[in-house]
Amino acid sequence: MSARRIVVTSGKGGVGKTTTTANLGAALAKKGRRVVLVDTDIGLRNLDLVMGVEKRIVFDLVEVVEGRCQLRQALIRDKRFESLKILAAAQTRDKTAVSEEQMDKLMGELAKSNDYVIIDCPAGIEHGFRNAVAGAREAIVVTTPEVSAIRDADRVVGKLREREIPLQLIINRVRPEMVKAGEMMSIEDVGEILGADILGVIPDDEGVIDTTNRGEPLVLDQTQKLAAIYGRIARRLEGEDLPLTDLDPPSVFSKFFTMWKAG
Amino acid sequence: MNVEGTDLMHAFEEAPLEAASVEAPAAVALGRAIVITSGKGGVGKTTTTANVGAALAALGKRVVLVDADIGLRNLDLVLGLENRVRYHLLDVIEGNVELDEALIRDKRSANLYLLAAAQAREKEDVDVDEMQRLIEQLRERFEYVLIDCPAGIELGFRNAVAGAQHAIIVCTPEVSAVRDADRVVGLLPNDWSPELIVNRLRPALVRKGKMLSVDDVNAILRLPLLGVIPDEPAVIVATNKGEPPAFDPNSRLGAAYRAIAARITGDETAPAEVPTEPEGGGFLSKLGALFGGRS
Repeated sequence: MSARRIVVTSGKGGVGKTTTTANLGAALAKKGRRVVLVDTDIGLRNLDLVMGVEKRIVFDLVEVVEGRCQLRQALIRDKRFESLKILAAAQTRDKTAVSEEQMDKLMGELAKSNDYVIIDCPAGIEHGFRNAVAGAREAIVVTTPEVSAIRDADRVVGKLREREIPLQLIINRVRPEMVKAGEMMSIEDVGEILGADILGVIPDDEGVIDTTNRGEPLVLDQTQKLAAIYGRIARRLEGEDLPLTDLDPPSVFSKFFTMWKAG
Repeated sequence: MNVEGTDLMHAFEEAPLEAASVEAPAAVALGRAIVITSGKGGVGKTTTTANVGAALAALGKRVVLVDADIGLRNLDLVLGLENRVRYHLLDVIEGNVELDEALIRDKRSANLYLLAAAQAREKEDVDVDEMQRLIEQLRERFEYVLIDCPAGIELGFRNAVAGAQHAIIVCTPEVSAVRDADRVVGLLPNDWSPELIVNRLRPALVRKGKMLSVDDVNAILRLPLLGVIPDEPAVIVATNKGEPPAFDPNSRLGAAYRAIAARITGDETAPAEVPTEPEGGGFLSKLGALFGGRS
């Protein structure tokens, strides 16, 4: 059985591709799946930081492609999950160091011994994007409910459709109170504009910044409220028919009440 | 600019005495071209470009904003000018229209113009030389040319940097953004002295030790600090509405951008960090203090 090869892309940068890749990967590994995460952002790698493996990189993707090392030598095993591995991007090279054909071949190789190959795509729609997509057979498009992110996502959706790659959306960093106040687009609006199915909806949470800085995907921390949400996205990705997370915010008074109890 | 011309300029610089006796040949004072870049996407390059541009225009400077993100343009949206885009940067470069026809005047300020990026084209459709010529043309007409760079360090980045003489690095207080910014600084010409804007700072998180401070960021980057912008949901609203806060005299975000603009024009008295939090914290912390003696 060959792995599912999924590219996580967005067009716009900074909407959460790397965070999504890391957490979705960890959530799948937690379910016992064999997962490899591939950072294709050659020259601007960050997946290693988010996964906390930056000090353990010996070989990278470009060195594998150039035959300087074996693929298995370049795979970094996650310390928390036996079945989770990371293939880092080269930091001092540029995106033209690898071709689409090489990328497709390498992802095919990884697919042989895994259940999921999750490809973290660079921002933009240049060479790096084309490389990342070349290795994938399906896509997750991450967007935030902002007009600029949606416009960029729309452009990427068009490019994926040209290549006949099936895709689903993750709408990231939703602030329910802003949606309610009419200051932010709703989930339904975003799905409608992009004309695609929604795989998950993730609220804006300051826990992401802290866990990213510490290199601990927040899926690992059950006290993080996003952990359960990524868990559900992993289940939906595997075909379970779960409703999307309800993001209705507690009122300011219920927030206060919780704070008062906690104090 | 042709090679001979460049050499001539150098000759003057190296021989100041002789140069002083030669009148500059009716040279137009060229404006300053500044690229706004970051490496990492989504840290606020476009928002910064729009707001610093608006703030410079409010100081009476003639400003043009150039969207170099061909294929993924957004500066027109942030400025609320998306319905006025008729021609774009590639139309000018390819000679389809005159520069004047492609410049879009801002609705709010007569000093502020936008040159939009092409949406249905690719970054490969422009090269570094073409970009340099275009930016120089703009420098003849404007005091400030702010170039909104695409994310990444591919061709789009090289094109955006090509015509500039100065860079503003936008970075958020996150390790990934700092690493990317550091990489970008290393790719800029050695004789540049890029300045730093730390964007989306949450002082409350910094105090709790859950976010890097400005000093943490700059311990790695070591760049002159141009400004600090607080994280406020108002930015999202402003982007969706196409109304840069820099135009709003009552906005705290606007004040931070206006201070940056003042510093760009050489006003050393403008602070890099404008106080952004109301005295005594926000609503919730006040409520907490009232009921539990907590701060």
